[in-house]
Amino acid sequence: MIRLQNIEKVYRTDTIQTLALNSINLDIEKGEFLSIMGPSGCGKSTLLNIMGLLDMPSKGSINIDSQVTDNFSDKQLAAFRNKKLGFIFQSYHLINDLQVLDNVELPLLYRDTTAKERKQLATEALEKVGLSNRIKHFPTQLSGGQRQRVAIARAIVGRPEIILADEPTGNLDSAMGNEIMDILLQLNRDEGTTIVMVTHDEHMAKKTHRLVRLFDGSQVQ
Amino acid sequence: MFKHLFKMIWNKKKQNSLLIVEILLSFMVIFGVFSFALNSYNNYAKPMGFNYNHVWAISYNHTLETQNPDSVTLVYQTLLRNIKSMPQVVNAGYHSGNVPFANNHNTTGLTQKGVEVTGINNFFADENYINTMGTTMFSGRWYNKTDPVIKSEVIVVNKMLAEKLFGKADAVGKMLGDNVKTRQRIIGVINDIKTDGDYQRPAYALYNRHDTASYKWMGKILVKVTPDADAAFEGKLYKLMANTFKNSNIEIEHLDNRLVAYNKFTLVPLIILSIVAAFLIINVALGIFGVLWYNINKRRGEIGLRRAVGAPGAAVSLQLVSEAMILATLSLIIGAFFAVQFPLLNVFDLPASVYLFAMLFAVIFIYLLVLVCSLYPGKQAAAIYPAVALHEE
Repeated sequence: MIRLQNIEKVYRTDTIQTLALNSINLDIEKGEFLSIMGPSGCGKSTLLNIMGLLDMPSKGSINIDSQVTDNFSDKQLAAFRNKKLGFIFQSYHLINDLQVLDNVELPLLYRDTTAKERKQLATEALEKVGLSNRIKHFPTQLSGGQRQRVAIARAIVGRPEIILADEPTGNLDSAMGNEIMDILLQLNRDEGTTIVMVTHDEHMAKKTHRLVRLFDGSQVQ
Repeated sequence: MFKHLFKMIWNKKKQNSLLIVEILLSFMVIFGVFSFALNSYNNYAKPMGFNYNHVWAISYNHTLETQNPDSVTLVYQTLLRNIKSMPQVVNAGYHSGNVPFANNHNTTGLTQKGVEVTGINNFFADENYINTMGTTMFSGRWYNKTDPVIKSEVIVVNKMLAEKLFGKADAVGKMLGDNVKTRQRIIGVINDIKTDGDYQRPAYALYNRHDTASYKWMGKILVKVTPDADAAFEGKLYKLMANTFKNSNIEIEHLDNRLVAYNKFTLVPLIILSIVAAFLIINVALGIFGVLWYNINKRRGEIGLRRAVGAPGAAVSLQLVSEAMILATLSLIIGAFFAVQFPLLNVFDLPASVYLFAMLFAVIFIYLLVLVCSLYPGKQAAAIYPAVALHEE
């Protein structure tokens, strides 16, 4: 489903050059739940951003769902992200000025859908994460766990084949973290969604199919 | 998408309210400036209605020692005959003090079939007026030598007043005024003339027949001169006047010079208003620019998120521009409500079309201003790299 070949990411300033990722080769199968672990600053999030086409590698090739994305234009990348990928972030990234339902509808705004369809799909997504009774609330009126569930609903509303989660339980206590993890496992199991999750939590990582470890930008496991 | 943006703006109405008020105030000021400018232009575009070039207005005081009416009449008639006999004089005639472009107005009012009309310019002129001023009749005739017999029973009105009183019907032959003792028969309708300068519209006007009894207080002689009339001639004319009216203040003014001075009464306020408006516009432009710039920096996370979930750079840019335009629209809706009261309530007695066009131009101006001010911040937002913006958050 996702193939990374010789991915290298270098950050350059006038005086310094930092190698964030070094020769990463990774194949992720369709329906796989992969976790990425490693110490802070080892390049986990950079790798996830490159997989999510939010960042471009300095070298190497990305193939997602049999499409080489290296030469995609900004518009093509946006459309590809919209249709194929869902994102979950540690800090939720919800828009506080919008109600829960509107936050979940967000990816659908960039598709050719009617308001009725958007509402229906968003309501279904919120039902899946158990928040159908909170659609009129604003994010600031929700707990951390509920916010992350809204973020999951937003990630799955467009029915993407791949979900990229950057420390989705990082800001939550263990009980809420487990709730979120259960939702992700259920999505992977029931709907066959491919999930790549960056985590610091060994316990959560063990629940996934495979674990990749990074150290200083290189894959060590 | 529009509904989505509107929701966002509505949910942030407190933060947006200052900007809305700022745009609203700008709209109202620009509407005022445009109304003033359009009205002035409309008036400017209308013909003056007479030829003021080479027309001089001589002011004098009645200082004749004799009280005998026949002697007074004789002096005035002789004076006018002497003036007209000068080779540089094309025509000349007596006129009341409110000649065109003078700071002297004499207004009156009348009631016609129960309808009261006020603010009517009340002129007194002799039979020479129409040729001296180079104006024309719309219908009927100007006064002539036969009129003194039936003086004060006849009157000439201008076209504007005739239409106000009688609509499209010919006013000639109709009686003016409801009072049977003072009503006068209209013998002519003169075309409108702009007596208050290029930028003021013609007003209602009555032209009364000057008679021998009114010599004492007429105060002005209008003289149409040939193009070669020079300062030497002016001196000669002055001398003639001074010899006739001993110890009188004699002043000779050229109407074209008076017009220039008179136009400044309209242009100076317009220029001052425009300068104030320009400062306000710059202020608003900086305000919009600043708010949008601040929004981008404050909303980098949101912009990054939108990019992540599928918004191309152009869509992000368009969103910010659209938000600014929606804010402007909200301001303009409120502004239009206030602006439309001006034609409805007939404020300042300007034509409704002036207000409506001023509103239209002010709306276009505000939209253009907001568009220009939001384009660059919108472009900057589109250039935000999603991974960086999301990481910063």
